[in-house]
Amino acid sequence: MTVPTTAPLAQPATPLRQSGLSGLPPRPHHAWRTVGIVVALGAFTTLTLMPAIGGIQLDFTALVRNWSNSLPTIRQLLRPDFAFLPRTIAPMAETLEMAVAGAAFAAIVSIPITLWAARPSNPNPFTRQLVRFIININRAVPDLVFAIVLVAMLGVGALPGFVTLFLFDLGVVVKLVSEAIDSSDHDYIEAGRAAGGTQTQINRVTVLPQSWTLYANQWLYSLELNVRISAILGIVGAGGIGRLLDERRGFYAYNDVSIIILEILVAVIVIEFASNALRKKLR
Amino acid sequence: MAEQVPTNTAANFGPSATTPWSIHMTDVSVTYPNGTHALRNVSLSIDAGEIVSIVGLSGSGKSTLIRTINALVPATSGTVIVGGNDVTQMRGRQLRELRGHIGMIFQSFNLADRTSVLNNVLVGRFAHTPTYRTVFGRMTAADKELALRALDSMGMIEKVWLRAGSLSGGQKQRVAIARALTQEPSIMLADEPVASLDPPTAHSVMADLGRINAESNLTVLINIHSVDLARQYANRIIGLREGEVVYDGPAAETTDADFEMIYGRPIQTNDRVGAES
Repeated sequence: MTVPTTAPLAQPATPLRQSGLSGLPPRPHHAWRTVGIVVALGAFTTLTLMPAIGGIQLDFTALVRNWSNSLPTIRQLLRPDFAFLPRTIAPMAETLEMAVAGAAFAAIVSIPITLWAARPSNPNPFTRQLVRFIININRAVPDLVFAIVLVAMLGVGALPGFVTLFLFDLGVVVKLVSEAIDSSDHDYIEAGRAAGGTQTQINRVTVLPQSWTLYANQWLYSLELNVRISAILGIVGAGGIGRLLDERRGFYAYNDVSIIILEILVAVIVIEFASNALRKKLR
Repeated sequence: MAEQVPTNTAANFGPSATTPWSIHMTDVSVTYPNGTHALRNVSLSIDAGEIVSIVGLSGSGKSTLIRTINALVPATSGTVIVGGNDVTQMRGRQLRELRGHIGMIFQSFNLADRTSVLNNVLVGRFAHTPTYRTVFGRMTAADKELALRALDSMGMIEKVWLRAGSLSGGQKQRVAIARALTQEPSIMLADEPVASLDPPTAHSVMADLGRINAESNLTVLINIHSVDLARQYANRIIGLREGEVVYDGPAAETTDADFEMIYGRPIQTNDRVGAES
């Protein structure tokens, strides 16, 4: 390496420590802070496992003691009864239909709500915070709780399942896409404003086409989640394959349960592959 | 081409479509919420049809000055009269209508890269289009005609269906100018329009602005750093330093010494773009 004699900047060929630079600030040390964080987390985890002070009781010996009881179950699970397959087709189709319908309706409704929840597309802090607040409440409710309440309100069947998935997807899409819009550059908005546009006009003609890929990504992701969730929604009466799963489990027909589990697995994997392939295309 | 005056279409883009506006600023100051005094008691008069370079170092208040004219940055005090309208008193729909008469282009072009050139240019019709029409994507034939003519006058007509993001920098700026022209503006504001472009492209975009000023008879304000471009393409030069007007004179009479006074330092090589190649 040749060091040009005229350029003083080329000198740090010698390590900084020996270079005699006077302005180098001391490197901050975080070692004790790291140790403190690890110790605190460890202590907290230990406390949660102490029943004496209200922690949970985990009896690991039960794993060994009851092992033999589970052997017949496992044996049954390992012998899926393919004769049961035809009876699962209709409920499985219902599950997939709920998943697709929920994702599709959520996708449509998510378009304006997401724009209202993102700062660049909604500069009004009051309405923006209001939309975000409602979405956060929606997201705080676990999907199974939605399903249980909706089954009580709408009756057993696919409808409460569909509504559950719709609400769940709406929360996912609005939150993730609005945050993605928040964190990207939107200098074209200034141009729209300079041309005398209303925020709605600017959103429709520029922000929306600029954000389609963000939307499409989350729509596909929510469809993926839906197939997984809708498989068990039936357990609380919200339609689909979950109802059959719960029924067969009730009869201890584990070789039927096994075929249902296999089917769910295949459906989830297929959807995931398809959605991943599509999302790669979008980039 | 701008000189091809349409004969009997409703859309009448061309030299005679608009009248240029004058700009009068009286004692205008802008203080940002963080306490920065971007403009201090600026008073200026720009006649209708002038082409003016506003020069100064970055941070001198050029961008703020140009944005007080369309109230993208509201004046903290003072009055800005544009084409006889007091911008500082305007709100809401009134302000949007006024902005419809003022075209603006930017250093980073500010196009929506993922949508078509045509869609970007139609942004120029916002102020003349009811929001519901925009929402349902129903543009009028007249608006489309205006957009296409503006693109044609900038030599960009064959790019109309391309995504804006696929264009080069110079092409993007021409599309941005077409977007502004689609407004049929009375004033054109340009905020560092060539700072992101290579020297030959910078010259041709500046020449476009000069041509628009001459043919469409618009008032044109250009924020610019380059000494040579400022002198070559404008009739008048206004110098800003630390938010104050420190120079105002005809471009032909502005010497290097004047620029050094405005910049508060000797002229450096990167203060010039160089001759058109």
